[in-house]
Parts: sequence; C-alpha cells; structure tokens
Amino acid sequence: MYQLRRQQQKARWKIKEDLPGYLFMLPAILVLGTFVVLPIIWAVFLSLHKVQLLGGIEYEFIGFRNFTRLFEDERVWIALKNTAQYVAIVVPTQTVLALVLAVTLNSGIRGKNWWRILYFLPTVTSSAVLTLIFMWIYNTNGLLNDVLAFLGLPTYNWLGDPAVALKGIMIMNIWSTAPFYMVIYLAALQDIPQTLYEAAELDGANGWQKFIHITIPILKPVTFFVVAMGIIGTFQLFDQSYIFSGGTGGPNNATLTVVLLIYQAVFRNLQMGYAAAIAFLLAVVIITITLIQQRLFGGEKV
Amino acid sequence: MKKNFFNFLLLAVAIALLAISCQQIQTHRAATKPAPVTVKLSGWGSDPIEQKLLKQVLKDFEAQHPGIKVRYEVISDQYMDVIKTRLVGEAAPDVFYLDALEAPFLMSQNVLEPLDAYITSDFDLSDFEENLINSFKYDHQIYGLPKDYSTLTLFYNKKAFTAVGLTSPPKTWDELRTYSKQLTTDKNQDGRIDQYGYGVIPELARQAYKIGAFGGQLVDENGYATFASAAGLKGLQLVVEQYQKERSSAQKSDVGTNSGSEMFGQGKVAMVIEGNWAIPFLKETFPQLEFATAEVPSINNKKGTMVFTVAYVMNKQSQHKSEAWQLISYLTGKEGMEKWTGTGFALPTRKSIGQKLGYDKDPLRSPFLAGVDYAMPWQAGKYPAAIMNSFDNQFVSALLGQQPLQQAMQRAQQEANKLIKAME
Repeated sequence: MYQLRRQQQKARWKIKEDLPGYLFMLPAILVLGTFVVLPIIWAVFLSLHKVQLLGGIEYEFIGFRNFTRLFEDERVWIALKNTAQYVAIVVPTQTVLALVLAVTLNSGIRGKNWWRILYFLPTVTSSAVLTLIFMWIYNTNGLLNDVLAFLGLPTYNWLGDPAVALKGIMIMNIWSTAPFYMVIYLAALQDIPQTLYEAAELDGANGWQKFIHITIPILKPVTFFVVAMGIIGTFQLFDQSYIFSGGTGGPNNATLTVVLLIYQAVFRNLQMGYAAAIAFLLAVVIITITLIQQRLFGGEKV
Repeated sequence: MKKNFFNFLLLAVAIALLAISCQQIQTHRAATKPAPVTVKLSGWGSDPIEQKLLKQVLKDFEAQHPGIKVRYEVISDQYMDVIKTRLVGEAAPDVFYLDALEAPFLMSQNVLEPLDAYITSDFDLSDFEENLINSFKYDHQIYGLPKDYSTLTLFYNKKAFTAVGLTSPPKTWDELRTYSKQLTTDKNQDGRIDQYGYGVIPELARQAYKIGAFGGQLVDENGYATFASAAGLKGLQLVVEQYQKERSSAQKSDVGTNSGSEMFGQGKVAMVIEGNWAIPFLKETFPQLEFATAEVPSINNKKGTMVFTVAYVMNKQSQHKSEAWQLISYLTGKEGMEKWTGTGFALPTRKSIGQKLGYDKDPLRSPFLAGVDYAMPWQAGKYPAAIMNSFDNQFVSALLGQQPLQQAMQRAQQEANKLIKAME
C-alpha cells in the first residue's frame, strides 16, 4: 500500500523534479541544438537534395545521386589521396617531434621556460599569417632560394611544382602544430611518479631503457589523444592550401584537400547538396580511422 | 536510456527551431527616410592609379546627382566567389563589375536586372561596339553595359627586328613563324638561346581564337566543350609545331619570367601577343624598350584575336533600381566613359569616345581598336572554369611533347564535359 503510493507520487513528481534540471541545462541545449544537432540534421537533408541557390532557393530531392557522383568524381579521389598522404606524414612526424621536444624540456634543460616559449610561438601565430610567411620563404625569389643561391646550390620553383607544393605545407604544419602537442606531453610527463624511475635504476636500467619501458607505456593514453586529435585536425586541412593555391587547389590539383573541395563546391559552383555529401564522406573517413586507432591504442583510459 | 536520449534530442531541436524562428519577426521594419539614397558599387582591386580615377569619376557623378551617394567597395580576393555568395545571401551590391567570361552563368540564374527597359534613346546604345554588347545578351535581353575592353595585339621589339633586317611586323601566321626563326638568336655564343622569336602563352584565354580560325568551336550551343574537333586542332597545331619542331618560341617559365609582358620586356622574346594592359606596364618597367604593336597575324587568311571585356550589371534584388541605373548610365555614358578611359589604361567601348580621344589614330592603340570587330569574345559557356582548367592542364603537356595534341585535347574535352554534366 505504502509502496504503491510512493510509485504514484513519483510519477507525479517526476516532471516537477526534472524541470529545474532541464532549466539548468537550457543554455547548453540551446547552443548545442542550434550549432551541432540542427546543422547535422540539416546536412543530411541537404545531401539528399539538389539545391538551387541563386535566384531564389529551391530544393529538388534526388535521393543518393550526390553520393553516386562522389564515386565518379576524380577530384574527390585526388583530394582524398592528397589529404591521406598529408595525414600519413604529418601526424606521426609531429607526434614523435612533440614527444622528443617534451622529453628534452622535461630532462631539466637550463632556461626551460625560454625554450618552451620559443617552441610555442609558431602555435599561437595565426595560420594565415604563417602561410603568408612561408609563401614568402618558398617564393621563387624568396628566402629559401636566396639561401640556396648563396650556397651555390640550384634554386627551385617550390610553389609551382605539383610534386613539392604539398610537402611545403606539410613542413609548415609540422613546425607549427608539434609544440601544441608538446605541451600536452609535458603535462603528462610531470605526472609520472619519480619512484618508478628510481626503481628502474636500482634494477640497472639505463636512460634509454627507462624511456622505452616506463615513459612510453605510461604515456600511451596521451599518445592516443594526441594522435586522434592530430588526425582529426589534419584531415580538415583547408586554410593553408587555400592560401597557397589562391583557392584553386593547384598547381595541377597538388594541394587540393577534401575541405577545399567542399569550399569550392559551395562557394564556387554553388552546389550545396554535393558539398554536404563530400562532408559526410570526410566524416565517415575520420570516424573510421579514429575507431581503428582506438582498437590499436586502446584509448578507453582517456 | 535510449528513449531519454531521444527525448532530449527532440527537445533540443524544438528549442533551437524556436530560437531561429524568432529571428524572422524583426526583418521587415526598415524605415524609409527621404535622406540621399546610397547605391553600393563593388569591383575587384586594381592598381592605385585606376582606383583613384574611378573614385574621381564617382565624385563627379555624386556632384551631378545630389540625391544619390555611391558606396564603392573593393573585393580584393576571390571576386566571383564573394559576389555569388552575397547574391545567395541577398546582400549583393546594387551595381557590380562582371567579366564577360562569368556573364553567361549569372545571366542564366535570374539574379541580374535586364537593362532594356531603362535604356533610352539619348543613351545611344548603338554607339557601343556590337561585339562587346553581345557578350552580355541572354535571351534577347541586355544584362550589362561594357565599361571597357582590351583585345590582343602583337607586340614586337623594334630593335630586335632591325638587328635581323626586318622592317615590318608579320601579317600572317606563316610569316610570324618565319620571322621567329630569324629572331631566335644566341647572342653571346654560349650555346644557350638568349632571345626567342615568339613568346607563347599556352592558356585557353589566349588560344581560343586559333580554335576558331579553321571553323572550330570552343563550346556547342548546349555549353559543352567541342574544342577537340579536327578544325580546332588544326589551329592549335600551329602553336605546338612551332614550339616543338622549330624551337623558335618559348613559354614564360622557359626563360624564368612570370608573365608574357615580362619576357617581352626583358628581351627574352622578340614578339608576344598581349593586351592593352601591357602598354603601361612596359612603359613603366622597361622605359628603354622600343616596341610597337600590330594586329594579330592572320591565320587561314582570316583575321582573329581575343577580346576581354567587363560590364557594369545591376542586382535584381536591388532596392534602388532607378538610382542604380543612373549610376550605370553615367559610368557607361559618354561623359563618364571619356573620363574613365581618357588616361589610356582602358579602351572605351563606345566608338565615339574612341575617336574623340584619338585612339584610332594612336600608333600603339589603333591595332587594339581595329581588332574589336573580328575578335572572339572570351566566353566559354556557363561553366568556363571546367573548360579552362581541363584545357590548360592538357595543352601544356601536349606543348611539351608528353602526349600527342589530339589525345591531349580529347582528354581535356572529356574531362571538361564530365564536370559540366555534373553541374547541370
């Protein structure tokens, strides 16, 4: 009897109890709903339509035709290939570099703070400014060629050669993003108890062995985080290649990336639906790779 | 758990929709004031001298029309992307520049105001070069009035010509090739050629008239690429043969320069086919250079060249159409155009102004004016970017001998048409 009354009360009270909770969540729900959930639903809608943008907006339902076009479009594959190549080189390099920088900083170098500031400067510089600086360096009459000419080496058209253009962006990005991950590694390194190293020393481990058998395994979850964030970030490469090529993805599609393709589809060819389809392709690729990674690194501790 | 999450999602969407719909309520409250009407004008950036001149012309316009203020805005980068985006967002300027190349697409999209209804008899439309007006016609209506133009002409280095005993510019393409052989010299005998006869620019924008010379067409009536026809290849073959077999022509990258006018100015080539914009550049950058211009040599006994033109167009969504028209009619009218083209960096689209300013008698500029009647307007259907990029990529490789011309052009045509088909 008493039990039953409690049950009824509970049902009646539920709304009253939950309401303040929802009220507290309202700002977050508003923001997330407007800027995350709605756009995703809207993108699904768009990707199934052909959208006429100019002279009055019209939607024409075309089912999965945008997606079938994806698989026939050469430029999509070129962009994917470029982006994948970019990720495959940049992510491992910047992760290793970040770890190396962090360990050297952590090993008690003199003037640690100065080094940290020095390393971190490129990361806080805006990517557009960095790109412009690097374009000036890579220019046919730029700094790099001047140095080469000074040393008596042959000069080169760094920006104009399809084989080299993307590599130029890679170098720039490794240099500018590695320090960010270095700081994350640095924080994780501070957390490793000193007693572990002391115990290893008693067992006769040298510096290298300590690094391989203690530092790296303990940093594994952080490494997962760094690599995952790196992959998500690098797959969305856009601004650098946009500035490099003036929005075309040239020379000869060498710097064409998936996000640049999305930009071109929307703003140059005014094909909203097709752009949404490309965006979904990119999302699927990133999700798949992150899941595979989770299997490999076992990132459940993060 | 699942149900809870689903409820949350629904709630989130509902609230978000509510938030968005609130925005619609306050849009229709623009107060109308009898203050001067502001007309927005947008164009792309150009050199400071040109900007200053335009601002001066706009000032004169404002002085004559006290009820109208002009807000001139320069879009410095990715002009067409920005304009298209603003047209979609209904935030486009009232009047803006439109290149003939981009005109077919925009005219077909129902975003430009047809100007026929505004044009009065004292505006004197027949004064315009017909070839230029036609670039901005679509479905028998005029959507833009050309503000200036440039054809291509042959620039030749007088000193280089006298050095090999040539007195006059080539009249036919065969002559151009013969002259080029004579002009290709190794002055310091180091086994490397210092001066090529002719500077070739392997872009579709500079080659399209050659496709037309034997009766080929760039695009068919449906806007698909057809430049790989036998007739089209015949014209392009002339360029490839000269570059590969006679080795008397060079590209800008072959001689370490960045543009056609630069390789000509530095004396790396004795002849180049360039536009009116090259004249001020050459005079400023290479004041020692002695050059002259002549009409582009005839191919297949037909004169041909390209013409590039830009028009003022009106936005269909404009709130102040009559004021916008007053601005366009002033800028492309006799008075405004004379001011605009009086300094000589742009050529007037009105015949009367060309005569008034004496450009038809000017030895450097008269070949440009002569070309306008037979020139091929630089347009390539509704989707020029697809056609241009495909052509430029493949034609360069054919020029370098990496593949036969016919194969290259077939490939470029297929590539372009695939892209166009996807856009349709």
